[in-house]
Amino acid sequence: MKGSAISLKDNLSALRARKTFQRAVNIRSHIIRLFLHIFLIVVAFVFLYPFLYMMITSVKSESDLRNLSVVWIPTQLHWKNYVTAAAYLDIPVHLKNSLMITIFSTIGHILSASFIAYGLARFKFRGRTLMFCIVIFSIIVPPQLVLLPQYMMYSSMGMINTYFPIVLPTFFGYGLRGGLYIFLFRQAYLGMPTEIEDAAQVDGYGYLSIYWRIALPMMRPSIVVSCLVSIVWHWNDYFEPSVYLLQIHRLPLPSMLVTVFNGTRDVMDAILNDKLDMLVTDGVVMAAIVICILPVLLVFTFIQRGFVEGVERSGLVE
Amino acid sequence: MRREMSIEKRKKVYGYIFTSPFILGSLLFFAYPIIMSLVFSFSQYKNLANINEMKFIGLANYIEAFFVNVNFVPAFLTVIRDTLLNTPLIVLFSLFLAFCLNKEMRGRVVYRTLLFLPFILGSGLIFKYLMFTGDTETTMELINGIATPSVIQSMFGPKVSNLFSVFFSRITIVLWKSGLQILLFLSALQNISPSLYESAKCDSATEWEIFWHITIPMVSPMILINIVYTIIDSFSDVNNKVMLYFEQVAFSSLRFDFAAAMSWIYFLFIMLLISLVFLIMRRRVFYSAVVGKGGRR
Repeated sequence: MKGSAISLKDNLSALRARKTFQRAVNIRSHIIRLFLHIFLIVVAFVFLYPFLYMMITSVKSESDLRNLSVVWIPTQLHWKNYVTAAAYLDIPVHLKNSLMITIFSTIGHILSASFIAYGLARFKFRGRTLMFCIVIFSIIVPPQLVLLPQYMMYSSMGMINTYFPIVLPTFFGYGLRGGLYIFLFRQAYLGMPTEIEDAAQVDGYGYLSIYWRIALPMMRPSIVVSCLVSIVWHWNDYFEPSVYLLQIHRLPLPSMLVTVFNGTRDVMDAILNDKLDMLVTDGVVMAAIVICILPVLLVFTFIQRGFVEGVERSGLVE
Repeated sequence: MRREMSIEKRKKVYGYIFTSPFILGSLLFFAYPIIMSLVFSFSQYKNLANINEMKFIGLANYIEAFFVNVNFVPAFLTVIRDTLLNTPLIVLFSLFLAFCLNKEMRGRVVYRTLLFLPFILGSGLIFKYLMFTGDTETTMELINGIATPSVIQSMFGPKVSNLFSVFFSRITIVLWKSGLQILLFLSALQNISPSLYESAKCDSATEWEIFWHITIPMVSPMILINIVYTIIDSFSDVNNKVMLYFEQVAFSSLRFDFAAAMSWIYFLFIMLLISLVFLIMRRRVFYSAVVGKGGRR
C-alpha cells in the first residue's frame, strides 16, 4: 500500500515536472517565434518602404506632389495618373510582346537546362568537366563583351527586329544567364539520391523516359525557382530588347518606361501642344512603374505557392 | 565483361545526347561572339562603319589597360573589395533568411512575397530610374529604407554617424541583393526529405545538431552555387564602377577594341576567382548522388 502511494506521488510529481518542462519548451518556442516575426517584419519593412512610397505617389495629384506636407496620405486619389501612364505605355501591344518573350524564354530555359544538366550530373563522358566549365564561363562573360559580334551575327541571319535573338538561345541553354539554370539543375540532381532511377533502369526504362518521368518531376522546387527567376529577369530585361528590337511597337512593356521618363514635364509646353492629358508628373511615372511590375508581382505570388514543404518523394527507405 | 563495357558505352552516348543542345548552342550562339571579341581585343579598327577592316596590334590594348590608363585599375580594385566584403554577408544572410522563411508559421506567404519585392523591383529599368534620376537624397533614403537617425547624429557627432550610415547602407545593399540567393536556398531546404529529419529526431538529435549535420550538408550544393553566383553578380552588376567605365569606353568613346581587352582582363580574373572557389569548396560540398568517382554513394 505504502509503496504504491509513494510511486503514485512520484508519478504525480514527475507528471508535474514534465508539464512545467513542456510549458517551458512551449514558452521558449513562442519567444523564438515572436523574435522571428519581429525580425521578418523589420526586414520586410525595409523592402516595403520604397514600394509603399511608389504606390502612394502613383495616386497623388499634382498639387499633392508639390505640397511638402502631404507625404503618406494624399488628399484625394488621383487615378488619372494611371490613365496617362497607360496611354504612354500603350498596354495591349506591349503587354502581348512582353508575354511572348517571357513565356517562351522561360519554357526554353526550364526544358533545356533540366535536360542538359541531367546529362552533366548523371553520365560520365569525355569532356564533361570541360562542358561544365563552359557553362560557368557563359555566365561570367559580361554581355557587353560579346554584344557587338553577337549583333553582327544575328543581323547576318536576318533576325533583327524579331524575338528570335532573345528566345531561340534559351532552348539551347543560353540566353539571359542560361548557364545559371543549368548549374542550378546540376546541383539539384547531384543532391538527389539515384536509387529510384536505378530501379527504373532495372525495370527497363530508357534514359530519356527516366529523365522525363522520374527525375524531372522530382525537381519540383528547382523548377519553381527557375521559373520565377526566369520570368522576373526576362520581364525586367531591357538590355537585349533595346539591342535587337529596333521598332517601337515590338518592345516589351517595361522598356516602354523610357517613353514615360522622357515624356513632357513642362506645363506650358503641354498646353501649347494641346497635350495636357499627356503631362508627366512623378505620379504618372510611379503609376507606369506600378503597371509594369503588377503582372509579374501577381505571377510571382501565384507561382511561389508551388513551394510546398515536405514533399515526400518516394517510399524509399534509406 | 562485354556487357559491362556496352553499358559504359551506352552511358557515354547518352551523356552526349543529353548535352547535345548545349554543344549545339555553344557552336551557334557562343563560339563566334567570344572568338570575335578576343580578336577585337588584339586589334585596332579604323571606323565603326567597316568593322572588318581591322589591324592586328598585339598586346597594345592590354598594356594600355594596365599601365597607361588611370581609371581601370582603381575601379577594378574597388569592385574586388566590394565583392569580397559583400559575398560572405549575402550568402550567410540569405541562408539565415531562407531558414526563417521555411519555418511553419502564420503569414509565411506574405513574408515571402514581401522579401522578394526587391528581387522584382531591383532588376531592370525601374531600379535604374530610382537610382539615377530624381532627388538623390530621397532615393538613397528609399533604398536604404532607414536613414541614419538624427538622434545618433546629434549625440555622437558626424564621425560616428557616418560610420553608422556606412554600416546601414552596406546592410541594405546586402538585403537588396540577396533575393535570388534566398530563393535558391529555399528550394534547397524544400528538397530535403522530411524522413531525414524524422530519423534524426528519433535518435534524439537537438535542433542545433540537426542544423549542422543534416541541413548544412544537404544545402551545401546550393551554398556553392550561391557563392559563385554572388561573385559573378557583383562583378557583372551594371552599376558597378568597372561596368560603367566599360560602357563609357565602348559606347561613348566608341573604342570597342580597348573595351574588349579590358573585359578580357576583367573576366579572366573572375574566372580565376571562381576556380579558386570551386577548389576550396570541392571537398566540403556533399552530393547524395556521386557519379563516376569510384562507385556511387
